[in-house]
Amino acid sequence: MADTAPGGHGPSAFGPAAEGGAHPGRDLVDVLVAFGRRLRAAGVAVGTGDLRTYCAAVAPLDPGDLGDLYWAGRVSLVSRREDLAVYDRVFRQFFLDEPDDDLGKRMPLAKHARDQLRAAVEVPRADPPGPEQREEQRAELGLVASDLQVLRAKAFADCTDDELAALRKLIAAIRLTPPRRRTRRHVPARRGRAPDPRRTARETLRRHGEPPPPRHRRPRLRPRRLVLVLDVSGSMAGYSRNLLQFAYSTTRALDRVEVFCFGTRLTRVTRELDHRAPDEALARAARTVLDWEGGTRVGDCLDRFVRDWGRRGLSRGAVVVICSDGLDRGDPAVLAHAMERLKRLSHAIIWMNPHRGADPRHVPAALGMLVAAPHIDLLLSGHDLASLLELATALPRLR
Amino acid sequence: MRDRPADVAHLTELLAADGYLADRGLATAVFLALSLDRPLLLEGEVGVGKTEIAKTLATTFGRKLIRLQCYEGIDASQALYEWDYARQMLQIRAMSTRAADALDSGYDEDAAVDALFGPKFLIERPLLAAVRAGDAAVLLIDEVDRADDEFEAFLLELLSDFQLTIPEIGTITASSSPLVILTSNRTRELHDALKRRCLYHWVGYPGAAREVEIVLTREPGVAPALARKVVAAVNRLRELDLAKPPGVAETIDWVRTLGVLRAGELDEHSALDTLGAVVKDRDDLELAQARLSEIVSGG
Ligand SMILES: Nc1ncnc2c1ncn2[C@@H]1O[C@H](COP(=O)(O)OP(=O)(O)OP(=O)(O)O)[C@@H](O)[C@H]1O
Ligand SMILES: [Mg+2]
Repeated sequence: MADTAPGGHGPSAFGPAAEGGAHPGRDLVDVLVAFGRRLRAAGVAVGTGDLRTYCAAVAPLDPGDLGDLYWAGRVSLVSRREDLAVYDRVFRQFFLDEPDDDLGKRMPLAKHARDQLRAAVEVPRADPPGPEQREEQRAELGLVASDLQVLRAKAFADCTDDELAALRKLIAAIRLTPPRRRTRRHVPARRGRAPDPRRTARETLRRHGEPPPPRHRRPRLRPRRLVLVLDVSGSMAGYSRNLLQFAYSTTRALDRVEVFCFGTRLTRVTRELDHRAPDEALARAARTVLDWEGGTRVGDCLDRFVRDWGRRGLSRGAVVVICSDGLDRGDPAVLAHAMERLKRLSHAIIWMNPHRGADPRHVPAALGMLVAAPHIDLLLSGHDLASLLELATALPRLR
Repeated sequence: MRDRPADVAHLTELLAADGYLADRGLATAVFLALSLDRPLLLEGEVGVGKTEIAKTLATTFGRKLIRLQCYEGIDASQALYEWDYARQMLQIRAMSTRAADALDSGYDEDAAVDALFGPKFLIERPLLAAVRAGDAAVLLIDEVDRADDEFEAFLLELLSDFQLTIPEIGTITASSSPLVILTSNRTRELHDALKRRCLYHWVGYPGAAREVEIVLTREPGVAPALARKVVAAVNRLRELDLAKPPGVAETIDWVRTLGVLRAGELDEHSALDTLGAVVKDRDDLELAQARLSEIVSGG
C-alpha cells in the first residue's frame, strides 16, 4: 500500500500555540477535537477515549509538524484498515483545506443503496422471543393451528403481505442450532464441579501417594460458525431476507454468524448488521453495498469469497449456507472452481434454491446449479416455512 | 535496560542499527506505544515484518522477548500458568512416606498441601512471565486473530491492568507494564473493545526503494541491481491478485535462493527455477508461470 501521508516536514500547522508542557495547549486541543468530530461525521467510529489518546499522542511529538499530527491521529483515531482512506481524505480537507470533491458524487448513491438494502434486509428486533413465547405469539398473531398448517407449505411468493408479516414473526422465533465441533479445550466430564487440584492432592496423600482414578475430561464442544452467503439481487432478495432473519434469531450464537451479500459483487455485512440500532446498521451496510443492480455473478462472487475470506480461514470448520437460484451471468468454470475450493475450505455447504420448489425430484435447470451440485452437501429450497424448518432440523446433524 | 528513545528519529536510528528499517508511520506508532504505555496492534499483509519488529525492539532495548503464539482453541491456562503435575506427584509420594513414618509427630496435612501449590510448582506461561517481568519485557501476542473471541475478552482484561489472580497464591500485579505488540493477519475482525485499548497501525508493503534497502540490510552480499530487479518483479506479482501475495520475507527468500543457485541475474530462466521461493500456492504458481516474462521484464 502506498503511503499517502503528507511528507516529512510539511507546512507548519501550529506554531507558537502548540508550545508548552506535557499537554498540548488549549487552542490545539480544540483543533484536535474538531478534527476528531469531522472524522466521526465522515463515518469513522471515533470514541471520546480515542480523542483523549490523540491529544496525549501529540504531546510527546511535534504538533507543529503536519506529519506528526497525521500519524498521531492515524494510530489513535483509526482502528480499521477500511477507514484509512476516509482518514486521509478528512485529514487533507481539515488540515490542508482540500475541497471534498467526491462527497457530492457519493451521497445519492449511498442513499439509493440504502433504500434497496432496507427493502431486502429487514433487521430483526434485538431480542427475538424465546420458544416459550412462541405459543403466546401465535395467539397474538391470531394463527390457529390450521392457518399455520396452510402457511407452512404456502410458497412465500404466493403470500399476501399480512401473511408474510405473520411468517416473518414465526421465522424470528425459530432457533437455528449450528452443529458443534470439538475444540482443544477440555471440560471435566462429571458435570457440576470445576476440577479441584487441591482436592486431588489431598486424596492422593490419603491414599499414600496413590493418585485417585484420573478425572475424566472430554473435548469441549462449541457451535460451528455459520456463514451465510446471500444473493440479494432481484427476485432473490425476499428469500435472502427470510434467511437472514432466521439466522439472527440464534442470538446467542450471533458472534458465530458471518453474513455476506452478493449480486454483481460480494460484500461482507456482518459488522453492519451486528449493531444495536438497526437503522444505523442499515446506514452502515449501505455504505458497503454499492452496486446491487445488473446480472448476478454467482461464480465470480463465490470466487471472491474464497480468495478474500475462505483462504484466510473464515469458513474453516464452518457450515456455509448459500442462498441463490444459481442463475449465473458469468463463466460456469469459475463457479465450478470456486465451489470446489470452498468445499475444501469449509465443513459443509448447504445451498438454498427457492426455485427448486417443493418437488424433491426437481432437477436443477440452471447451468450454475449443475456445476455446483457435486460440491453441495445438502440442497434445500427455502421457498416456504416448511423448508426453512427443514434447514433448522438438518443443521445440527451436520456434525 | 536502555533508556526510551528521545524522539521518533532516534528510535528509527536505533532500530536500523539492529537491522530493522521502520518507516515513519511504524516508528511513530512504536514511539507512542512506549511513551503512552499502550499496547500496539499491528495488522497487515503476510510477511511484512510485524513479528520481526517486536523481536528487534527486544534486542534494541535489551528487553526480554516473551512471545505468545495464538491458535484456535488456546485457553487461559496455556497462556498464563499451569501446575507442574509431575513434580507435584513426586512430592506427594515423598510426603506420604514421611507422613506414614511420622505417625503422630505433628504432621500437618494443610501445610503439606499448601506447599504443593506454592510458587515452586508453578509453570510460568507467557502472560504470567510478562506480568512478572514488567517493563523489562516486550510481550509479543502473535496472530491474535487465530484465537477465539473468548480469549480476546480475557486478553482485554489482562491488558487493562496487568494483574492476574492465581487462586492458590494470590494476585500478582505488574510493577510496570511491558511493551505489548499484538499482531493480526485479519483472518477475522477483532473486537472493538480490544482495538480501543490499543494503538493501531496497518503495515502495508514497503515502497520499492525501501524494500530494496531491507533486502540489502538482510542480505548484505547481494548486488543492488539484482535486489532492485527482484523487488520490481515481486511488486508485479503483488498486482496479480494472488491468493497468497508475497511479503517482504518472500522477496528476501527469492534473492537468497537466486544466490544459492549462483544466478546473478533475474531472467525468465532463473525465475522459473526459483519461483517456488516467492509464490507458494499451487494455483498462484500456475498464474505466475503463465505471466513470467512480463513479471521479470524491466526492473
Ligand atoms: N522493515 C523491515 N526491516 C527489516 N527486515 C524486514 C522488514 N520487514 C520485513 N522484514 C523481513 O521480513 C521477514 C518476515 O517478517 P515477519 O515474519 O515479521 O512478517 P509478519 O508480518 O510477522 O508475517 P506473518 O503475517 O506471516 O506473520 C523478517 O524476518 C525480516 O527479515
Ligand atoms: Mg508474524
